[in-house]
Amino acid sequence: MTRSRSLAIALVAALVAATAPAATAATITMSGSTSIAPLATKLAKAFVKQPQYKGKVKFVILQGGSDIGITDVSRGRVTLGMSSRDPKAADPGGIVFNKIARDAVCVVSNPSNKIPSLSQTQVQDIFSGRVRSWSQVPGATASGPIDLVVRTAASGTQDAFQNIFMGQTLRVAGSATTKSSNGLQAQTIKSDPNAIGYASFHFTAGLHSIPYQGVPCTLRNAKSGQYAGSRNFYLVSRGTATGVAKAFINFARSNPTALSLIASNWVPLR
Amino acid sequence: MSPEGIAARLPGRRGPGGASAAPGSTGFWSDARVERILGAVACLVLAVIVGMIVFVFSKAWPSFAANGLAWFGSGGDVDLQLEDIFNSPANPADYVYHLRAWPLLWGTFVVTAGAVLVGIVFSLFAAIFIVEFAPPRLNRVLEPVVRLLAAVPSVVYGLIGILVIVPWVGEHLIGLERRESVANVVQLDGSSVVVGILILTVMIVPIMIAIVVDALRAVPRSWTEGAAALGVNRWRVTWTIAVRTARPAIVAAAVLATARALGEAIMLSMVAGSASFAPNPIDGITFLFEPTRPLASALVENVEGLSVTPFGETLFAFAAVLLVSSMFLSLAGFVAKQPMRRYGVRP
Repeated sequence: MTRSRSLAIALVAALVAATAPAATAATITMSGSTSIAPLATKLAKAFVKQPQYKGKVKFVILQGGSDIGITDVSRGRVTLGMSSRDPKAADPGGIVFNKIARDAVCVVSNPSNKIPSLSQTQVQDIFSGRVRSWSQVPGATASGPIDLVVRTAASGTQDAFQNIFMGQTLRVAGSATTKSSNGLQAQTIKSDPNAIGYASFHFTAGLHSIPYQGVPCTLRNAKSGQYAGSRNFYLVSRGTATGVAKAFINFARSNPTALSLIASNWVPLR
Repeated sequence: MSPEGIAARLPGRRGPGGASAAPGSTGFWSDARVERILGAVACLVLAVIVGMIVFVFSKAWPSFAANGLAWFGSGGDVDLQLEDIFNSPANPADYVYHLRAWPLLWGTFVVTAGAVLVGIVFSLFAAIFIVEFAPPRLNRVLEPVVRLLAAVPSVVYGLIGILVIVPWVGEHLIGLERRESVANVVQLDGSSVVVGILILTVMIVPIMIAIVVDALRAVPRSWTEGAAALGVNRWRVTWTIAVRTARPAIVAAAVLATARALGEAIMLSMVAGSASFAPNPIDGITFLFEPTRPLASALVENVEGLSVTPFGETLFAFAAVLLVSSMFLSLAGFVAKQPMRRYGVRP
């Protein structure tokens, strides 16, 4: 998304100008997942406030989707790629996935349709189009056909949903409405009482998060590991990370400030 | 006459940049130098256009080459095909290119043609009213407002569409029965052909009105006065003489509007493009409520995946088709205007 990219550039340029006037500062450039970008921006702001790095490190954070981050880092265009999907066999060689956090992917519906719970089979039936009417879903208060609202192919959340909920063989029905951004998707689900979709926990405000396998989609349940629908956030480096990039990854993994930042909307590793 | 010829007649000219105080050669900005600089700028525009066409086509070629003419045909689900292309293996020999883009092409055609047809009728009558019938006081408000409307960014229309019109259409115009009748093929949630056409019409009508108004004003006064002197009423004078004379301008307005409609991406992606689906006219009224995704919207919605080589090449193929259709459009507009030129005014 060019717009979100340039927005991110502007944001980060402002951040850099405010925090790192030193010309000798080392620069960490990042690109990739739009789901990780809000977290990465927060972490970067905290990192440059650390006494030993103050004025010595600058960040430039671009977005574009997980695959863009992975391609960019494998070609050496950025220091770190942001990936919200697990490594694939087809990924370019020589890159290392460094896990920094976990994220809950919630199945969401219109707030008026408070479905008590869905099992994995039910989610697969609904999204693959085997079940097409709300009357066939126990506990649903909506009536009439089910409207699937999903994301376009290049979305990391789409990829995560496919891997966690649908598995390798099933696919989302072709009749589904596909939206190009989290905001459009949420807006569509909000305005359509028959809609169901999925979203990263960070984007579920104003929607009904449906408990999955009886476990509500909350940060607490994702942290404890009870909620099954969670995915990993990675910072991808070319070879093993070195220097400030390595320090930044360690900071995100173990620094108390970073861990509490992550815990605000995501799931820290410890 | 050649430029050199003109230059030779200008007094006091000493060659490019020559330091002379004589008129016609004012220091650095001598005529010869200005001519060369402006010529270079004009050539640069040409070079940019040619370069762009070459670039887009060279990028798009693998997608066309892999699919052949079937690229333009129908078959399968475009969204799933795009997903497969996006998930191609890393090895260039195994890249997936399979694509049948017909739903996107048909969607582009339906929305553009619908909006331009409705727009021509609207703008023609609005322009006739402004030029011939509206009281001057009303005109002083109406014309600036029309020109202002032409400048509203499309994303504003898109926001109004997705927050107000799409939910309204989904709730009030699409009944349960209609939803269920096509539920196995496509979802009717309000983002639809009819909303796309409606908002696109609102977007293109102001510029069409402005062009047609200018053309109607340019009709020679003596022609209409002559007809009026023969006792013909105002409406017939306007319809048989002014509108007939202004036909090239109406064609020009339609061409310009079509070009804008073809390239409209953001707004249509927000209000119509919820699925890469080819709306089927056989479905009757339901056809209007089916979603569709024009080429430009498909391009902008998938731009996230540009870095995946085969996916990027597919997006460039969309761009190439848009580029060629707008070139054909200018050509068609030019040809259509030829037989009308003898009626007089030019746009």
